[in-house]
Amino acid sequence: MVTFEIDGQQVQVEEGEPIIKGAEKLGIKIPTLCHCEWLEPYGACRVCTVEVVMGKRHRMVTACNYPAREGLRVLTQSERAVAARRMVLEMQLARCSTVPIIQELAREHGIEKSRFGEGTETCIMCGLCVRICSELVGAHALCFGQRGTERFISTPFQREGEEGPCIACGACVDVCPTGHIWMEDLSARKGQPQDFYLGPKSAIAIPTQQAVPKAPRIDPDACIYLQTRGCSICQQVCEPEAVDLSQHDEEFEIEVGQILTTTGFQLFDPRKMSQYGYGRLDNVLTSLEFEMMLNSTGPTGGKVLMKNGQVPRAIGILHCIGSRDENHHAYCSRVCCMYAMKFAHLVKDRSDAEVYQFYIDMEAYGKGYHEFYSRILAEDVNVIRGKAAEVTEQMWGDEAEGVLHIRCEDTLVGKFRDIPVDMVVLCCAIEPQSDLGNMAHILGLTRSPDGFLLERHPKLDPIGTNTDGIYIAGTCQGPKDIPDTVAQAQAAAARILALIAKGKVLIDPIKASIDAEHCSGCRMCNSLCPYQAITFDEEEEVSVVNDTLCKGCGTCVAACPSGAIRGAGFTDNQILAELEGILI
Amino acid sequence: MAVKRLHLMVCAGTGCVSNKSMEVKAALETEIEKHGLAAEVDVIPTGCNGFCGVGPILLVQPDGIFYQQLRPRDIPHLVEEHLLKGRPVQRHLYTPPGEKGTIPLMSDIPFFHAQVLIALRNRGMIDPEKIEDYIAREGYQAAAKALTTMSPQEVLDVVKASGLRGRGGGGFPTGIKWESTKRAPSENGTRWVICNADEGDPGAFMDRSIIEGDPHSVLEGMIIGAYAIGATRGFIYVRQEYPLALKRFMIALNQARESGLLGEDILGTGFSFDIEVHRGAGAFVCGESTALMASLEGNVGEPRAKYIHTVERGLWNMPSCLNNVETWANVPPIILHGAEWFTQLGTGDVSENPWGGSKGTKVFSLAGKINNTGLVEVPMGITLREIVFDIGGGIANGKRLKSVQTGGPSGGCLPEELLDLEVDFDTLTAAGSMMGSGGMLVMDEDDCMVDFARFYIDFLMAESCGKCTPCREGLRNMNMILQRICDGKGQEGDIELLEEISACMIDAALCALGTSAPNPVLSTIKYFREEYEEHIREGKCRAGVCKALITYKVDADKCSGCTLCARACPVNAITGETKKLHVIDPNVCDRCGACYDACTFDAIIRV
Ligand SMILES: Cc1cc2nc3c(=O)[nH]c(=O)nc-3n(C[C@H](O)[C@H](O)[C@H](O)COP(=O)(O)O)c2cc1C
Ligand code: SF4
Ligand code: SF4
Ligand code: FES
Repeated sequence: MVTFEIDGQQVQVEEGEPIIKGAEKLGIKIPTLCHCEWLEPYGACRVCTVEVVMGKRHRMVTACNYPAREGLRVLTQSERAVAARRMVLEMQLARCSTVPIIQELAREHGIEKSRFGEGTETCIMCGLCVRICSELVGAHALCFGQRGTERFISTPFQREGEEGPCIACGACVDVCPTGHIWMEDLSARKGQPQDFYLGPKSAIAIPTQQAVPKAPRIDPDACIYLQTRGCSICQQVCEPEAVDLSQHDEEFEIEVGQILTTTGFQLFDPRKMSQYGYGRLDNVLTSLEFEMMLNSTGPTGGKVLMKNGQVPRAIGILHCIGSRDENHHAYCSRVCCMYAMKFAHLVKDRSDAEVYQFYIDMEAYGKGYHEFYSRILAEDVNVIRGKAAEVTEQMWGDEAEGVLHIRCEDTLVGKFRDIPVDMVVLCCAIEPQSDLGNMAHILGLTRSPDGFLLERHPKLDPIGTNTDGIYIAGTCQGPKDIPDTVAQAQAAAARILALIAKGKVLIDPIKASIDAEHCSGCRMCNSLCPYQAITFDEEEEVSVVNDTLCKGCGTCVAACPSGAIRGAGFTDNQILAELEGILI
Repeated sequence: MAVKRLHLMVCAGTGCVSNKSMEVKAALETEIEKHGLAAEVDVIPTGCNGFCGVGPILLVQPDGIFYQQLRPRDIPHLVEEHLLKGRPVQRHLYTPPGEKGTIPLMSDIPFFHAQVLIALRNRGMIDPEKIEDYIAREGYQAAAKALTTMSPQEVLDVVKASGLRGRGGGGFPTGIKWESTKRAPSENGTRWVICNADEGDPGAFMDRSIIEGDPHSVLEGMIIGAYAIGATRGFIYVRQEYPLALKRFMIALNQARESGLLGEDILGTGFSFDIEVHRGAGAFVCGESTALMASLEGNVGEPRAKYIHTVERGLWNMPSCLNNVETWANVPPIILHGAEWFTQLGTGDVSENPWGGSKGTKVFSLAGKINNTGLVEVPMGITLREIVFDIGGGIANGKRLKSVQTGGPSGGCLPEELLDLEVDFDTLTAAGSMMGSGGMLVMDEDDCMVDFARFYIDFLMAESCGKCTPCREGLRNMNMILQRICDGKGQEGDIELLEEISACMIDAALCALGTSAPNPVLSTIKYFREEYEEHIREGKCRAGVCKALITYKVDADKCSGCTLCARACPVNAITGETKKLHVIDPNVCDRCGACYDACTFDAIIRV
């Protein structure tokens, strides 16, 4: 600790800390323009110039980086210090006469107008942007160009956009005191969270309002630290030290007796059907994005809003995007018709917008569903039978009714129609997760031709699989709505609990067993077993049968080239004895 | 090696080389061959002699005969006369300006006579590309003495006692800098020594000349310094625009390594040290210590605050001792001959306090309106008058001296009244100028002091790094004000405004470039204020330099109608027929002064 004096008041700071720290403690305001507590002091703007006295020696120094020394006397209001600051500000004002922060500081120092003219520069050369980008972010995407009066803010080798090193984190924009740097539309850039992204979101955020646990999560694609090893500011500000950026993904092995697979679905990517303009046209949303928007805890607080913040005049809801389509998925996704009707109902409830539904068939089969359909018809929702052909931007005529056009054939009246709307919602197909194949392989499950997991029997055992102890529930098995999913999941839970409650499993006596003496370790049987009951013991170098899984089908018995596998109750002697019994 | 009768020292400094001294050398070699003299006569290329204005220079040793302005076609006659018949050729000897008689001996020529050579001790005497030549003239004896017979502390004590102060501009006592570097804590014991060979002052070539003429003297200085400080690695920061200096350094480094004077276990003493050369991209500001180190690290060459000194945390945050080329070159003679020898020359008393005086010599580059331009090494304490009139041979063309500018772009202009000022670090600073790295520019009555200040402010504006507001914006605004004064649009209060900006720069700029940048303005205001006032109040430039303030007219009584002026005018502003009065159209006239120079009847007048 060193003790020193600012304008007659004593203050203590840590050894090596600058004068300004002491001034902050005392509440003495020293103006700064290039100072930022997260960055190394730079000492460029010089508006923090103060006079210091050490013994008999007077000196002019900058408060933001001059290390306080024991016994130092600092004069922030001495004639020399004020004169130097005033002149610096007057010259800054001459350079950037329109920049508010400079105007304000100059005015505080009694300068209304600079004697050196009125320049229209907006960069004050504080270097905050350059420094935050290299020191904190670590991207080194900004630099100064030229020198002297020609100096300007630039990018290395003037490379910008995609080819430059900018990771679009926005730190420079945030730190720039004048607005000289701004963000371009970043939607196509790297490092920006894309999925279900409807509004501002930071790299560390609580993912949803009802998230469990209700803790922030780091998005690895947007986190600066995970990209450049810079920043780590969240770790620095978190007082309970809950953020640990050094953590890695870890793999655990847990031994279990039964597995319930509930890996869900993913939404069909409507970019594959470019005729609907998703990703290209503003205000074309997927059903999931629209669902988020309608949620009262969502980004718009449940209001239906266009990108420009206005309420749409008409909305088109397009069914069967990627479903019932030979080119993508032949199946019906089952839930779209009903949620589309719910959308229509909510839109009608919350705004005056017209709603158009474009459908192939209205699949309202469940309990109370058809009644709901009748209700929305009564709410004046327009339903048009016919799959939408394309969505285009309004190119001609006025935009009185909408900025997007939906073209389709109305098959009930046999006419082509062209409907102007402001917003389009695409009811995208439910499809298997892209890595479901991998998962099926790990668990030894089979898949049906549509890509979903195959149940043991469609009617008699819709939750079991060919492997005992592994069950499936929900949309990993096929498209279904929430009530169906819950029912299936509860059934699976009951099955699992029944087994646990029993404590013991009764298994068929018919089993295969491998004679370790004769097994050559060729592993041929491992992949042949339809129930994944045979594993290889790496240590003993022989194959082993899991008694609980083995159904005694005998495939392996027949296949083993060494004749090492025997079916229990089916040894040669036993079969011969049986034959004997029959024949005699 | 056979002893030769004569050594022909051909100057191979950059000035003489561009005046074809290498062709002179080739011609000499051919002629010598032709006359079968190769066994008795040796031709040796040397570093710059400093008297570049009269190059190419040939010095015949051991007689000390000085030939100047030689052309290759002069050589056959010269070889025949001097080498064969022993008669110096009169018409190639030096004649002082305005005199008739020649001066055959180099040592008698006034330009050389008053000089004392320490840093330039081997000037014109050795082939800079041969380490043997350097060793033959006491080279590396100092290093050997220091490493084998003295402790590092003893070396340090000698340098401290010598009162040597930095020749790069600041004049900081070298011994104290070495001591602070030695004492600064370093975690792993790493310390660096660095040689500042950036030499950014326009028109200055002291450092280049030392490196090109005697690179080993710098290396030897650095070896001794490293030993005293305990550094294991050295860096030379040399500007890329000095290709010859760079080449000489590389050759010298290799020779020193081969001779066991650099590298592991130097001279078997167990002390290891090596030097690396770094090429700078050539920015004036990179001569500043912190900017130089930033540049050396591979960062942008921008200064940083020196509240923590570079001797504590410099290059890569390690204790670093940066000295100028000339400073390093001064070290070996000091070690060899002792501190007392060095303190005999110079001003003040440094026995108690190294700031008490300026000892030894200083190299200056003399330029401007002076008869003998070139490089001179003079003892500290010599007066400006001696430099300008005795060594420099007075003002050219019989004009009157107006001012002497010292210290490079951020130095100041001293008036004629101060000619008897004894030149040392402190007197120059007290007079509002500075020693700087040794530029000296002489101005006569044809130089406008306002225009001159504007010129230097222009230079600094382009060379400032632009990091801090006072320097960047201060120079911009000073330039704007000076420009309007030169354009005849100056306003009352402009002088005070210049002073106000200067005060802010001195108090608030980040590095010494900014804090010293107002010097040209302040010193000209201090000593030549009336010139500023004339520009502003009367729209008059007494030197006739500021174009907006002058007009050219034809004196009707004197014009003979010779048409010379009309032919000289590049913009065809002059009309008139042969033998008739000529007239200048002021609307077309570009005020270049070509007619003024062309007229042989003094008929063009400048008002
Ligand atoms: C703008 C500026 C330019 C400088 N340029 C040089 C230079 O070209 N060469 C040099 O030796 N010193 C230069 N200096 C001085 C150096 O900062 C430093 O003081 C010097 O190299 C230290 O060596 P010395 O103590 O031997 O003089 C410059 C200083 C400033 C402020
Ligand atoms: S762009 Fe903004 S942050 Fe960057 S130097 Fe200029 S004013 Fe400062
Ligand atoms: S004083 Fe000039 S050269 Fe030095 S840091 Fe400031 S702008 Fe750069
Ligand atoms: S805040 Fe200290 S120099 Fe800018």
